[in-house]
Amino acid sequence: MVIALVIAAIGLLCGIIIYTVFVKMPTKVQGIEKTEELASILPGLNCGACGYPGCFGMAQALTRDPDLITRSPCAVLLQDAKKVEEIGKALGQTIDCSALNKRALVHCGGNSEIIYDYSGVEICKAAAQLLGGYKKCPYACLGLGDCVKVCPQHAISIDPERRIAVVDWEKCNGCGLCVLECPKNLIELVPATTKIGFCCNYQPLKNIEGREKCDFGCIHCRKCFKSCEYEAIIWNKERAIPEFDIEKCTLCLNCIMECPPNVLEMVAREEVREKVAV
Amino acid sequence: MSNLITIFISLAIINNFIVARFLGLCPFFGVSKRLRDAISMGAAVTFVMLIASVATWVITHYILIPLDVLYMRIVVYILVIATLVQIVELTIKRTNLTLYNAFGIYLPLITTNCAILGITLINFREGYSFIESVVAALGGGFGFAFILTVMSGIREKLELADCPKVMKGLPVAIFVAMLLGLTFFGFGGIV
Repeated sequence: MVIALVIAAIGLLCGIIIYTVFVKMPTKVQGIEKTEELASILPGLNCGACGYPGCFGMAQALTRDPDLITRSPCAVLLQDAKKVEEIGKALGQTIDCSALNKRALVHCGGNSEIIYDYSGVEICKAAAQLLGGYKKCPYACLGLGDCVKVCPQHAISIDPERRIAVVDWEKCNGCGLCVLECPKNLIELVPATTKIGFCCNYQPLKNIEGREKCDFGCIHCRKCFKSCEYEAIIWNKERAIPEFDIEKCTLCLNCIMECPPNVLEMVAREEVREKVAV
Repeated sequence: MSNLITIFISLAIINNFIVARFLGLCPFFGVSKRLRDAISMGAAVTFVMLIASVATWVITHYILIPLDVLYMRIVVYILVIATLVQIVELTIKRTNLTLYNAFGIYLPLITTNCAILGITLINFREGYSFIESVVAALGGGFGFAFILTVMSGIREKLELADCPKVMKGLPVAIFVAMLLGLTFFGFGGIV
């Protein structure tokens, strides 16, 4: 009993000392006021997704170079429009958060045929070393979850049926850690207001051989382009894939219904959907 | 005096924390990629070792031994070291920003490093006096910084070396660490 009290007393003393030091120390230090101010606005999660050692490190970098906020923004901060305004005021510039706010999109619809049984280490990087993965399409998501492990928001899960990674856009904050992790480079950061996602990463143009790789990939038929009544789809001739004009899209979902291999998916977040409904 | 020199040399070279006691191996591989980082890390470790030794010596001899709670020393040591490092970090941050940037992330990182806890436990086990434990901490810190500097120097050259693709990076670093350990093994038995 006495011993427990002694240990508790030491702990309490340590706490009190830290607190007194924190209070007594001069809070206004030359050259650090602005950094402290910025650090207090930043989320303080110290996730390190921005590439700096914690939020204080990012605040220091921001003091040196205010433009950094648009070049490599803090993804967590961008979720809160009020905070963005605050940091913009502190930096003396207006920041358009809707353009910077991103979401991760997995460019694969799954269902690609499995060509051999993979029984190695359960990580995508290892599986990708073996004939470029165990799926028929060389660009397919392997679904072993390297991105799931790295996601600080727990926004990514593996769809058990299609065996691909699926990003929950309500949770995702677009930090981009999964983009770096994917050995197949399937994940891309797209604007958070995106309504329709193109879920196929099939690259070469008019490659019939490639068509045979996956029965569920884009066949470059342009049906989506033709079906759109609002001119919201632009056909990218170089890659032969559709591109979406977010402003014009009304979420009529015609393109999704028309698409023969079902590679288009409605990804709009609730917030965006509500806006369209109004 | 000769006793103090013996302790210093023993902890710095013969019973070196990294190559002989295998403590603090994570910074050994983690922070030994660049010479500059290695030097700041070494300085930070030496500094924390020093303050940790002083504080734990006082606590051991004036609180733990009179109250006969020595078996709780690991818990108390961790608590005290963590507090000290927090205080030092706070003080440096608010008073000298240049120094804070030089230490960077390393100061809070080594709060719970095993080399730091190791030096305090070794001080106690060997029954060092106050002066002796200060010298031991300096020796341990010097040895740590020395090995880290040597390793980072080698690794900077290794980056450019033509080694097989499978061995590039960490694997070859581990081989170098083995050779470094064997070299220091030669000092065994001097003191």
